[in-house]
Amino acid sequence: MSSTGAILKDNVWTSNPIFMQMLGICSALAVTNLLANTLIMTIGVVFVTAFSSFTVSLMKTLIPRKVRMIVQTLIIAFYVIIVDILLRAYLPDMSRALGPYVGLIITNCIIMGRAEAFAQSNPPFISAWDGATSGFGYMAVLMTIAFVRELMGFGTIFGLRVLPEAFEPWIIMVTPPSAFFLLGIIIWAGKTVMNREGAAA
Amino acid sequence: MNKQGLAYTVIFTFIVSFVFVLFLSFANQTTTPLVELNRELARQRSVLVALGIDFTTAEEVQQRFSEIEQVTKDGELLFRAQLPSGEAFAKEFEGAGVWGPIRGVIAVTGDFERTLGLEITEQNDTPGLGGRIMEDWFKEQLRGLRIVDGIIRVGSAGTGDEDRENGMIDAITGATSTSGRMGRIFRDELTRLGELLNGGAL
Repeated sequence: MSSTGAILKDNVWTSNPIFMQMLGICSALAVTNLLANTLIMTIGVVFVTAFSSFTVSLMKTLIPRKVRMIVQTLIIAFYVIIVDILLRAYLPDMSRALGPYVGLIITNCIIMGRAEAFAQSNPPFISAWDGATSGFGYMAVLMTIAFVRELMGFGTIFGLRVLPEAFEPWIIMVTPPSAFFLLGIIIWAGKTVMNREGAAA
Repeated sequence: MNKQGLAYTVIFTFIVSFVFVLFLSFANQTTTPLVELNRELARQRSVLVALGIDFTTAEEVQQRFSEIEQVTKDGELLFRAQLPSGEAFAKEFEGAGVWGPIRGVIAVTGDFERTLGLEITEQNDTPGLGGRIMEDWFKEQLRGLRIVDGIIRVGSAGTGDEDRENGMIDAITGATSTSGRMGRIFRDELTRLGELLNGGAL
């Protein structure tokens, strides 16, 4: 398998940031009760992780070791604010729906994790790919949780009603604790499948 | 130059911060007019929705809004519209929700007999529970609802009160606190509107 393919598989599956590395859990609980919000939020994370990894990698030989993490945080914050500005200007309704969560992308550990673990020691383009695929791994898990939560909590998928009016929505699915349970189930399922794969190999 | 030395570290950090912040200020500056326009459009749209005035495009929003007169009385800004059904007033409000302020617009008939509509512009209550005050079925309950004893009451939880004469709306299932706070907002705002509209000509 080519290195791009290997990185993709690693970031989306074998080292998935959420269910293997346990990073980015807070937003997995907070923004997953509607698919549309989750999608925009995770696209933001993909964008920020890819570009910050690219930039960190580009500047890695120039950054003094002592201020390495501060500079990484500055770069991440820069891209997050760019996302926030773009949303406010071009997607005001989405910006209002996501509220403070966009700013909180800065604190998403996945982004700094990739900058430190990969971009610091790899060339720019492959670092951007590593960042983007980590974002995809995060997106895959969050969208799965959001799918179940929106379906059971509202009876809709992307705001379109799919369950009959008679369906009684599960209020717990709308509140953060449900994401906690769902995340637990996903981690359990993911690890079980992975252990089987390991045993088969 | 020694890249781990103090001088390099300070200069490097300064330059990097300067360049990134400069670029951000530029991005912010160039999008500010658009952000302002969005905010103003959202405000105009909510006044029109509360008054029950139809529109489709952004241009139409500005056009219809320009036909509305803005009057100030006792320091309160009111929007006065001439509808086919008669004179109507809308007022922006702000009240306490469960997790943060609830802001919106409420409209009443000129004779203060009925509410005409409600629009929520901002709220931070739990999506799917208190956040459902944003949903049409909840807001539509105030279309043409008779004001009884100067207020609108929030009753027990339901799916929308069809009775337009009882001065009551249904609360939201699972969102008792938010529903109660909406009731308080209606009481405060309608009391204020009553004083403003009954206290002489505008």
